Amino acid sequence: MSTVLEQIEQQIAKLSSKAIKKNTGIIRTVADGVAKIEGLSEVMYNEMVQFSGGAIGIALNLEEDEVGCVVLGDISQLKEGDEVQTTGRLLSVPVGRALLGRAVDALGNPVDGKGPIAATESYPVEKIAPGIIVRKSVSQPLFTGIMAIDSMIPIGRGQRELIIGDRGTGKTTIAIDTIINQAKINKVGLASGDKNFRPVYSIYVAVGQKNSNIVRTMAALEAAGALEYSIIVAAPAADNPANQYLAPYSGAAMGEWFMENGMDALIVYDDLSKHAVAYRQISLILKRPSGREAYPGDVFYLHSRLLERSARLDGKGSLTALPIIETLAGDVSAYIPTNVISITDGQIFLETDLFNQGIRPAVSVGLSVSRVGSAAQIKATKQVGGKLKGELAQFRELAAFAQFGSDLDAKTKAQLERGARIVELFKQPAFSPVPIELQVAILFGMQKGVFDPIDVRKVVVAAQSMKDFFTTRKDPLLTEIRTKAALDKDLEAKLQTAMDEWKASFAG
Amino acid sequence: MASAKKQALQLARQLFKLSLVDGNVSAPQVAGVLEYIERHRPANTLAVLKCYQRLVAAEVARGQAVVEHAGPIGANLLASIAEGMTQKYRRNVTSVARRNDALLAGLRVRVGDDVYESSVSGQLASLAAAV
Repeated sequence: MSTVLEQIEQQIAKLSSKAIKKNTGIIRTVADGVAKIEGLSEVMYNEMVQFSGGAIGIALNLEEDEVGCVVLGDISQLKEGDEVQTTGRLLSVPVGRALLGRAVDALGNPVDGKGPIAATESYPVEKIAPGIIVRKSVSQPLFTGIMAIDSMIPIGRGQRELIIGDRGTGKTTIAIDTIINQAKINKVGLASGDKNFRPVYSIYVAVGQKNSNIVRTMAALEAAGALEYSIIVAAPAADNPANQYLAPYSGAAMGEWFMENGMDALIVYDDLSKHAVAYRQISLILKRPSGREAYPGDVFYLHSRLLERSARLDGKGSLTALPIIETLAGDVSAYIPTNVISITDGQIFLETDLFNQGIRPAVSVGLSVSRVGSAAQIKATKQVGGKLKGELAQFRELAAFAQFGSDLDAKTKAQLERGARIVELFKQPAFSPVPIELQVAILFGMQKGVFDPIDVRKVVVAAQSMKDFFTTRKDPLLTEIRTKAALDKDLEAKLQTAMDEWKASFAG
Repeated sequence: MASAKKQALQLARQLFKLSLVDGNVSAPQVAGVLEYIERHRPANTLAVLKCYQRLVAAEVARGQAVVEHAGPIGANLLASIAEGMTQKYRRNVTSVARRNDALLAGLRVRVGDDVYESSVSGQLASLAAAV
């Protein structure tokens, strides 16, 4: 026994006397969240460095005789001449289920006052996106609960769908609605005990937003019971630009954990315009050459490497991305919007005019597109809403011409009447997503002309009445639509009977 | 302003290259460079000299192992450290001893940017960081 102990002691002695090699440098200047460091001759790009006060930084600029680092944390403790050392590690954030229901900063530290997070794993913030071999095409739907989107611009699991529009047009609301809808679907799915059910976990990344807005979003999620399936990564406007730059990548790392472990996740980047501005600020301080609109040359790569990390993996899970871009005066041809439009698999364009007319969500059908198309729709939605986009586009064209004269033929009048009702039908209040089975039922009614005799001004009330009718009295029928996901003759007959019943009750 | 700084740095780099003989800083060459600066007085002389000094100091540090110690240190140990570092860095490295009581016990060797930590205070610091 004593020899065994001696062996262990020898091993300890060997280890404890081993010299540890560190590569060090000295701070030459610190300004605006960026430190210029002399030395660090062995530092690697994007490597985490340790400052003497405990703060950490990331090496972003490797020059001939100095290194430019963004400092994460308290910069006020740093001064010229302080020692900095390399760590040999990339910046990592905690990942896993322990983060669900929590709000964290860009480094994964809790900011919600609910105590420490018991995460056992961590993922690097920067990671190479999955290659083409491991990917699978997008074919499973991700329901937003917004009728206009699910029926005309469907989103699939693993897709990147941009939400773009001016300020105050309801971009964040669409994202929050989608998160709430995932939580509702998760609750129903998990309660059903279906082994094939795949819940979707959500990550909401707030970049450059007011703290009050983030708190409001958290409250909305909590009120809807969606917070338990969500993670909030907050890098508010008051945070330093380095944290705002990192937050989307941290969120992506958290989402990747779900994807890699066979689960589905949804990530919302709110918003990438402010993310690009934070990166521009860092780049200008690092004295990188500036290009169009003073953005650095690699601003496209900034977003492409982030959004490429969203994918559907073969044999694993998926990560769906909903990046948000804020336009100025509806200018979609600006630098950052065109970049992100070209990276994503489609966009939902929100128009200020529509919003002001009371059409909410203010989705512009003409400018919005989903490049995945009907591959990400269930058959039932295709059956009832396959022609909706065309009908609505035709309506907008006819409505423009109809303004010039009143002599219209019966067919055109009918098209205009139908179009006006579709527009009314798609109006939806904030934070109240509609389950897909209910959407199918309502669109079935629209297709069968149930709303045609109703006055346009009463369509919203009628649609609400129909929703109430189906949810309170036709729950088994809705369940059947949800489970079958397609309308057969039997189901169509049942739906028709239910419609007749509703018509009688609504008229009465 | 920025371009003046850049020019000063470029000139300092050129002068630094002229100061090397077989990859090591040569005292006669440095003296020659200083004489040249004295005679020609390039634009932004102070900035040029500061950059030049920094480059030379970094190069000198790469050829010198500063051995910090808390207890006594023998000449043999210094010589063996110098020999080891010469082999490791494949260049001539000399060693100098510097007393540092803050280490408590053990050694800390610094060669250029690299620090080899084998002191009690260093181990305590890493233990504190781990906890």
